Amino acid sequence: MRASALHDLHLARVPDGAGWIAAAGMPMPAAFPNEGDPATLALADASHWQRAGVKGPGAAAFLEALGLPVPAQPNRWTPLPRGGLIARLGLTEFFIEDAGAIARLIANAPATIGVYPVPRADTALVLTGRDANEVLLQTCNINFKALERMAGQLALTSMAGVGVLIIPQHAKSGADDIPLYRIWCDPSYGPYLYRTLLGIVEELGGGPVGMTGLDHLAPSPSDNIQPTGNP
Amino acid sequence: MSRLPPVSGEWIQRDRTLAFTFEGRRYAGFPGDTITSALLASGIDVLGRSFKYHRPRSVLSFANHDANIIVQRGTTPNVRADITPLTDGMALTPVNVHGSLARDKGRLLDHLSRFLPVGFYYKAFHTKQLFPKWESLIRFIGGLGIIDIKAERLTTAKRYDFCDVLVVGAGASGLSAALAAAEAGASVVVVDENAQAGGSAAYGLAGQPAGDAWQSLRARAAAHASIQIRTATTAAGYYADHWIPLVDDERITKLRARAVIISTGAYEQPAVFRNNDLPGVMLGSAARRLIHRYAVKPFNRVVVLAANEDGYRAALDFLAHGIEVAALVDLRATALPTENTRKLAACGIPIHTGHCIHEANGLDRVSSIVAVPFDDGYTDPGRAIHIDCDGVAMSVGWAPAAALLYQAGAGMRFDEAVGQFVPDHLPSGIFAAGRVNGIHGIDRKMADGAHAGLAAAMHLGLVPRRNLPAVPPETTCHSHPWPVFAHPQGKNFVDFDEDLQLKDFENAVQEGFDNIELMKRYTTAGMGPSQGKHSSMNAVRILARLRGEPIDAIGTTTSRPFFHPVPLSHLAGRGFVAERETPLHGRHVAAGAVLMPAGNWQRPEYYAIRGRTREQAICGEALAVRKGAGLIDVGTLGKIEISGPDAGAFLERIYTGRFANMRPGTTRYGVMLDEAAVIVDDGVVARLDEGRYYFTTTTSGSATVYRELGRLNTLWRMNCGIVNVTGHKAALNLAGPNSRKLLQSLTHSDLSEAAFPYLAAREFEVAGIAARVLRIGFVGELGYEIHVPADQGAVLWDALMTIGKSFGLRPFGVEAQRLLRLEKGHIIVSQDTDGLTTPDEAAVSWAVKMDKPFFVGQRSLAIIRKQPRRQQLAGFELEGPGAEGVRECHLIITDGIIAGRVTSVAWSPTLNKYIGLAMLATSLTAQGTPFWIRASGGRMVAARVVPTPFYDAGGLRQKPVQAMAEAA
Repeated sequence: MRASALHDLHLARVPDGAGWIAAAGMPMPAAFPNEGDPATLALADASHWQRAGVKGPGAAAFLEALGLPVPAQPNRWTPLPRGGLIARLGLTEFFIEDAGAIARLIANAPATIGVYPVPRADTALVLTGRDANEVLLQTCNINFKALERMAGQLALTSMAGVGVLIIPQHAKSGADDIPLYRIWCDPSYGPYLYRTLLGIVEELGGGPVGMTGLDHLAPSPSDNIQPTGNP
Repeated sequence: MSRLPPVSGEWIQRDRTLAFTFEGRRYAGFPGDTITSALLASGIDVLGRSFKYHRPRSVLSFANHDANIIVQRGTTPNVRADITPLTDGMALTPVNVHGSLARDKGRLLDHLSRFLPVGFYYKAFHTKQLFPKWESLIRFIGGLGIIDIKAERLTTAKRYDFCDVLVVGAGASGLSAALAAAEAGASVVVVDENAQAGGSAAYGLAGQPAGDAWQSLRARAAAHASIQIRTATTAAGYYADHWIPLVDDERITKLRARAVIISTGAYEQPAVFRNNDLPGVMLGSAARRLIHRYAVKPFNRVVVLAANEDGYRAALDFLAHGIEVAALVDLRATALPTENTRKLAACGIPIHTGHCIHEANGLDRVSSIVAVPFDDGYTDPGRAIHIDCDGVAMSVGWAPAAALLYQAGAGMRFDEAVGQFVPDHLPSGIFAAGRVNGIHGIDRKMADGAHAGLAAAMHLGLVPRRNLPAVPPETTCHSHPWPVFAHPQGKNFVDFDEDLQLKDFENAVQEGFDNIELMKRYTTAGMGPSQGKHSSMNAVRILARLRGEPIDAIGTTTSRPFFHPVPLSHLAGRGFVAERETPLHGRHVAAGAVLMPAGNWQRPEYYAIRGRTREQAICGEALAVRKGAGLIDVGTLGKIEISGPDAGAFLERIYTGRFANMRPGTTRYGVMLDEAAVIVDDGVVARLDEGRYYFTTTTSGSATVYRELGRLNTLWRMNCGIVNVTGHKAALNLAGPNSRKLLQSLTHSDLSEAAFPYLAAREFEVAGIAARVLRIGFVGELGYEIHVPADQGAVLWDALMTIGKSFGLRPFGVEAQRLLRLEKGHIIVSQDTDGLTTPDEAAVSWAVKMDKPFFVGQRSLAIIRKQPRRQQLAGFELEGPGAEGVRECHLIITDGIIAGRVTSVAWSPTLNKYIGLAMLATSLTAQGTPFWIRASGGRMVAARVVPTPFYDAGGLRQKPVQAMAEAA
């Protein structure tokens, strides 16, 4: 059984037991008391997806050989056909997240010259809602409104003092298209970043949201991905 | 002073009142009032005391540009009353007052002013012994508000924001610029420090209502979808790449713009005459703001001191609001024949051209002035005119509010024609408009603003580039070149913050401080809360005249952010301090760990046990490791993978040892040097297979080492990949004589000495988790360092702790680990070494292979080895009394000189004595050499050099099978 780096923080709000579900081999709260509205402002732990990285001069060819849609330029991402995403972090560095199959394949790939697997156990967060940009403005010096105008863009930046990967996406809440940001960081910074973001989210009237709340968000057609919920 | 009948465009709402207290007395104001306007409307004359002489003060600029009226509100000091909105129930007190404003004991200092000349501090308080006493006295007498150090911390949110064009200043030029840029397609943010947009145009029209063009401009700007107007917001500085901190009541917003238009206007400047600081003497613009924004009648009978058209407009304005204008005193020999001068003359107002105000008189408010003929600095007191009045309005000139332009790197020059500094050249993306650009008059300011807005849009590529005709320069001078009038009795103030008089500047120049920067520091002109907004220009004029040079030759002082005070709570923001936690953090807390910072991590120092002291808990943990088994979280160690054909060769270059010849499945200690051969890191290198290595770094060194390796790999272009997995892997060190049995019960892999010997590395499952296991022994016992994915670290911990109960397993913290490794004589880089320590000095020469072709630091080390060694790390034991008082960094004293320092010291419960490591002068390092350590309080404690390791010198406990064989 895997455990999210935020497991103990969740336990403080949702006692162990019936309120938890197993998501991709990781126990996660189904719902929180005083949960935030994902359409307005909410923060969720989505660390249950599997992740892997690969870097090196042969990385792009290696991924293409696996049949993956490799983004042509750095700082771009694209959805994977069966869910998940692949992001090009640099000329020779890639990040993959999915329900497990591809990530495990890459993590366990035999050593090949010019292809170096990068084990990743990131803390993965989802910041969602119409007020989400305000949280980003208080923590991050990137103009996401400008970034969102360019499809498939990602940002490698610093958020509240922590190095993060952020991908702007969208989700449907009823008829509304709402902003949704995927955020990944080193798991050792995960508790700090989550506490910090959640503090701001709650100050702005939002709250945490569990797996069930995330599942109610429909994927945006433009992203072609179920970005958050239980795989 | 009193409240006027409703004034068109006033900012107050008269439908209800707000109650507040000042010095304990109850007053009332209106919503929309500031503290100052409400107090003035209540008939209060004296609202503050000056910083140095405690002179009575009231409004000067009424624009957040001076520090005459500063009040304390509860625990909040230094509230600027001129611009702080009045709220219901405010309880306010003046600052820098001993007693009450009326009976301030400090006012006696005004009579002692001749004993407190400029430079008084430097001359009187340089005696080191007496300084603390003087400092305490000065802090008692002077100072501003009172800081309550127990006040609750305000976690103020900082915020970033972005726009195409930032316009600073929402006056006629600023709003015109914003509209022009927005209509060209830019997203525009306009900021203004005032509570409402509009600038001076709303009150600067000589008693007439603002014109249609102006009203239309305001309405269009407010309604434009691409323009965001932020009032009560100060652009407090300029940083590179158009990064501007916007300060409002709640926060700092760090705004990044693609272009910036500075339309900040100008500060009206005071004239320098005797008693120019008396309550009732104020800038003409201040009086007009009081009338038009807050319907406050600033005086009943006023004398206007003018040197430009603004003075005449002000006089007409006063007349229109029922204020008697006793006279207009014009510094110029003749006034320009304009419509305003004609109107004023037609009203029968006495106009004294070619005169200045020689002095103002009164106690707590001006009651009369003396006007005398004036010609280029020369006065004729023999022909004095005495005029009774209760107010003086000064309109003698302007200084551009150009701080942001200076900070942005604009070149400024003094334009004699307009009488002010104007931009000579502007950096890319910076534009200026309006008075700060030397353009006066509302129509011209609007045209200049539109020009700047369009220029900014062209700069951003929103509209095609074309030649834009600039607004023609001014032909009328709006600032008098010398509004400074000497008086034999002084008290003619240049800097109101610091009570600096004309003679202070003359004395400073006479003493040789005749450069503008030197003069500023010697006199402290411009160093008070106003930051020279009303003193710097006059100081420059005075210095220029004293040196007989043009103003351009004098220049201005350096402008640095922030040019306006910013609350510390705003600067602190939320206080983001990024802390790292291992995946086992919660387990440590649950086990009673006392946490300590280690780099940016939180680590268990020890695990507290009820009824035992810290030392007892640490000793207990150490003994558990020696006698049974201990488990420590070492996930904070840097963890780096390096793979590829050149991985071994790369390691040979970055470490001093040899790694290319390692057999797969083995580990080796590595020492890393910098180019100067100083130890910067150490760790264990494991060769996992032919082309794959895995190594650890120190906790504090992980990020630095990874960054440096990346740099070196880029430089060397070797065929290998470096991956930092520090946070992505959990790591535990299981140590102690029972560790093998314990671990064996959680794995099917063979842990026998033959299958998994000392210093071997293996990959197998532990408790069902894929693990990388290194058999190493930092603490000097049989031990296993187990590395697993971070998200499975807690599961592994639980499995080990559960099964470990039957093996006497105990978690141990950093302090026990430090003790255990000290018993083994193992060094900790950056504790037992410093920024100069070489491997030879740290006694790890055995890990250095000089016969390699190259490693970082090799060349320096070869040179250093040719020199006599200065110091050497050595083990010691403490002898005799006082041993418990010795700590790290205590000095070794021999023959009265420093001969070394203690780097590690502890009581060893295993050895039953105090042991330590010290960096000693080489003359002291022979075994058995006695030396003295100066402990806390100066006590000298005896010590003796002994060999290391202190414990298990043969290392047999790490290799128990060999130990048994040797025993046999």
